[in-house]
Amino acid sequence: MQDDDSQPVISGTGVNFAFGQGELRRQILFDVKIDVQPGEIVLLTGPSGSGKTTLLTLIAGLRSMQEGTLNVLGYSLHRASDSDLLDLRRKIGFIFQAHNLLPCLTALQNVQIMFDLQPDVSQKEGRDRAKEMLTQVGLGQRLDYHVSRLSGGQKQRVAIARALVGCPQLVLADEPTAALDGASGREVVNLLQGLARRENRPILMVTHDARVLDIADRIIEMQDGRLSMEPSARTGEALFGAGRPFAEGSLR
Amino acid sequence: MGQRIALSWLQLKHEKMKLFAAVMGVMVSVVLMWMQLGLMKALFASAVVFHGSLDGELIVIHSQYEHLLHCKQFSSRLLYRLRGSSDVMDLFSIYLAPVEWKNPWNGEMRSMQCYGVETQTPSLTLPGFEEQMHHLRRTDAFLYDRLGRPRFGEVAGANALEQIIEPEINRRRMTLAGIIDLGASFGIDGNIVVSHANFLRLFSERNSGEIDIGVVKLRPGVSVPQVQQQFQALLGKEVSVLTREQFKDVELAYWQSATPIGIIFSAGTVVGFFIGFIVVYQILYTDVTNHLPHYATMKAMGFSGRYLNRLVFEQSVLLATLGFIPGTLVAAALYAGLRRVTQLPLSIEPGRGLALAVITVAMCVFSGMLAVRKLKSADPADVF
Ligand SMILES: Nc1ncnc2c1ncn2[C@@H]1O[C@H](COP(=O)(O)OP(=O)(O)OP(=O)(O)O)[C@@H](O)[C@H]1O
Ligand SMILES: [Mg+2]
Repeated sequence: MQDDDSQPVISGTGVNFAFGQGELRRQILFDVKIDVQPGEIVLLTGPSGSGKTTLLTLIAGLRSMQEGTLNVLGYSLHRASDSDLLDLRRKIGFIFQAHNLLPCLTALQNVQIMFDLQPDVSQKEGRDRAKEMLTQVGLGQRLDYHVSRLSGGQKQRVAIARALVGCPQLVLADEPTAALDGASGREVVNLLQGLARRENRPILMVTHDARVLDIADRIIEMQDGRLSMEPSARTGEALFGAGRPFAEGSLR
Repeated sequence: MGQRIALSWLQLKHEKMKLFAAVMGVMVSVVLMWMQLGLMKALFASAVVFHGSLDGELIVIHSQYEHLLHCKQFSSRLLYRLRGSSDVMDLFSIYLAPVEWKNPWNGEMRSMQCYGVETQTPSLTLPGFEEQMHHLRRTDAFLYDRLGRPRFGEVAGANALEQIIEPEINRRRMTLAGIIDLGASFGIDGNIVVSHANFLRLFSERNSGEIDIGVVKLRPGVSVPQVQQQFQALLGKEVSVLTREQFKDVELAYWQSATPIGIIFSAGTVVGFFIGFIVVYQILYTDVTNHLPHYATMKAMGFSGRYLNRLVFEQSVLLATLGFIPGTLVAAALYAGLRRVTQLPLSIEPGRGLALAVITVAMCVFSGMLAVRKLKSADPADVF
């Protein structure tokens, strides 16, 4: 990523969003203001149906903006062209609740396929980096396993490797631990945090999982389509600072 | 965006039963198309084997000639008018008519085609004809077509020429003098070739001056179209002067319009095409449908629509290839079997193979293109 610490990775103000038209129109997001700074790990929580996923899909350029301004990684999302949105998405690492790994591919192939998006990376380099990434998530011994032979936690770890292998400038995750039991959920989040810290990669993660809140620099909460007043960035660090020190040294 | 993991192949291979079904579907379709097209071609080709064997550049027939079984005679004096032309090297006349053949083994009466030809110079280019032609000069000698239908008896058996085979033809005892290859065709189950003199013995009512076909052999280097025009003018409207190819076309035109063969086999080919099309479409469509969440995920991660379209496109080309090759091998085996049983001139021709390969790929790509429309419903916004 660019070492431009001054520019926020995500900055949005006055974001309104509604599904449906006319009678059926239902507004989901109200005057949302959000900022994520480089290297920050921000957790987004809130009750079900409050609009967290909707906000995430807007940030990811998966839905068209309706009102407000939203800048992500330097792209202005209001009226952005399809090819700009595609470019943006290639710079984002996605982790979904459902891993959606391709069942016909091995763990390694599922990660390696991301380099089809980066023609300048050679086949061999892509393969090596995919192996390296899987080793980092603890699957170095399972490279050639097909997805069906991996456990839920292992699948989600492959998904993390897939999200991070292309060196994304931002990681968006939506309840990555929801389908996992407590222990594997914790493991997955720790991994994500460790990898993000080492590369100074910002993460915006939606989660309901109270057990993982401690990895955050900052927690923001959504209620009925409105973001609650954010606690100051430093409060989060003061509260959960224990999660950080090991990464501090590698911050560039 | 290049695809460096052979995803299209890995995905096909992942579900072996489906792959097998798809390949079988394409294969059946390819075999059907080969059979339909091959049989149509062979049936029509069999109708003009005789025409193709006439040893001359120009053919003279009555202007009301319809087909070999409906031939009008014209005066040989017309043909021999051409003798004066310095462009002509040789002239041959041919008589033809159906004869009654009595099977020497079971006494059954069958009709077959009889040709009366010159015996000084060969007028037919059939293999072996020239060597055996002199036998025809004997009284009541005939050459027998071994590619005719078997209903005439074991005439052309391995040691046919060692025995004395004397069937009754038009109630006249004739002697087998040799074997030729001509083949059965529409309305013609078998053929014999005799000399002019023997022909007239078989048909006492025929007038020697009335011939069915005139063959004109030109000197080398003569311009055929020019001479053709000139001869047509010289001989008048009663006869047509045709090139050999035109003569074939007259015959083919008759059988194409008189029989539904063209329509039947073309319809069969189309059916073959649609069988393959529907099977491949079904397989690719369900495959895309089953993978929608994965494709939506890939789209969300930044894979373009083109990348995914190409994936389906490649799968369709793979299926076409995997079905075409064994399909063609099966067709070749069936051709060989049918050739033995029916004597039809069936062969796997490279040109036709290429055309069928193109049709097969088009069939699969077309179904792929239809299946790929389903990809649009993979909405990346639904993945979260
Ligand atoms: N495609 C859609 N069309 C219409 N309404 C939708 C659509 N997607 C979501 N909604 C509605 O928008 C509201 C917010 O949904 P969203 O998925 O953003 O909630 P969420 O905060 O992510 O909830 P959860 O924690 O359960 O995932 C919900 O009431 C939902 O019914
Ligand atoms: Mg949600």
